[in-house]
Amino acid sequence: MEYFDITIIGSGPAGATTARFAAQHGLKVLLLDKRQELGAPVQCSGAVSRHALLDNEVSISDEFIQEAIYGFSIFDTQGACSKIDYRDLKPDTYGPGPEQTPLGYVVDRRRFDRYLMTLAERAGTQVILKAEAKGYEREGADVIVKIKHFNEDVQVRTKIIVGADGLQSQVGKWAGLQTHLKFTELASCLQFVVDQVAADGLLEIVTGHQWAPGGYAWVFPKGHGYVEIGLGVICSMTEFNARWHLDHFLKRSFFKERFRDARILEVQGGGVPLSHPLRTQYADNMILVGDAARHVNPITGGGIHTALSSGKIAGEFLSGFIASGQVPNAQNLSTQQDLWMAALGRKMWELYEIKAQIFRMKNIEQRDEALFKTMAEYFSPNSPFKKI
Amino acid sequence: MKSLPVIFSISWNACIKCGVCVAICPQDAGFISDFDTIAVQTPCDIACMICEEICPVTAITHEIIGTNGLMRVDEG
Repeated sequence: MEYFDITIIGSGPAGATTARFAAQHGLKVLLLDKRQELGAPVQCSGAVSRHALLDNEVSISDEFIQEAIYGFSIFDTQGACSKIDYRDLKPDTYGPGPEQTPLGYVVDRRRFDRYLMTLAERAGTQVILKAEAKGYEREGADVIVKIKHFNEDVQVRTKIIVGADGLQSQVGKWAGLQTHLKFTELASCLQFVVDQVAADGLLEIVTGHQWAPGGYAWVFPKGHGYVEIGLGVICSMTEFNARWHLDHFLKRSFFKERFRDARILEVQGGGVPLSHPLRTQYADNMILVGDAARHVNPITGGGIHTALSSGKIAGEFLSGFIASGQVPNAQNLSTQQDLWMAALGRKMWELYEIKAQIFRMKNIEQRDEALFKTMAEYFSPNSPFKKI
Repeated sequence: MKSLPVIFSISWNACIKCGVCVAICPQDAGFISDFDTIAVQTPCDIACMICEEICPVTAITHEIIGTNGLMRVDEG
């Protein structure tokens, strides 16, 4: 039976980044994904900051970029706009010119996830697609992972399993961790990629209970002149589903004239955990990263940056851990969570508290106002929040 | 009063494979279909119905497993 120092389940941004850093440091790494095409079906708007990519050593490539982003427009429920365009605010740094850079990008998750997997593979990771992990059991200090690969049963021996299996994570459940999301903290999201709607290099965020109860609506440029229009809702705050709300937003909002000729090119949806990160993200022979550990920014719902960063932390931690020869029990692996808390986790808890405070408000007008103000503040250059 | 067990059906025509139903499901590991939705052939004895409620495109319906076989429930 083949042995790997670590076996990573799921090749999204978190899993592939964990694999890349672990392999770079010389570990024997196996990266599994059950899908035939990474990133598909798309469950994400694809917005990510430039510094999130660079900080995590992902070079900017045309292979995955759909559109360069230069700032934000935050709308209140009536359509009043707080525009935060870094081309105007910091023209020395941000812009389309040769001496300038974008603030961020909208990426194609299919190409982005494949790119990250390729980086991991080039660093020495063994990648297997169409490989579904079905469970694991202890054997001595190691575990045996049961895999179904093109309908054939395969087993590998490994020291540590990394659960990077996303929102629907089964790995955490296998280990008996409390991974359950509250109904009031999982946003149900739907978006259309459309033609015939103009945009101008800004991420547009529309707040307001009447458009997206518990979340917000968005209009993001998607490259080739397309945009994506979507929203996320908390279902305990509405009697309608996300599809109804998206239809309502398209036809009834202050953007209805702008959206009049929209032609739908793609339909995508997903869940965004607007919860706090898991309190325990490790067990014997196992750690969780990315969406599986609820590493999502609870204010923005963004999860790419947090996934990349937690992957880097995990990959580097595991390299040192394996080299040290420590027993991979829960207690020893808890250091991973300590490192993550110091780098990212504490900030995410703070953002969660802010978000929870807003949505505890019973008065809709007050809540709308608080969300608009927080969003506008979050994205402003003078923001007290360190971006994650 | 405890809910009666149910069996879920997914309209594959409506389903967008977003996985939200699996993410919100309080069942133990493995209550999933081969198409990344909640299980469709195994009875659910929790029957909390939050998967139906959270589905962005209303792709999920259920049948109550009563003492006299199946009862069809079309809307929620």
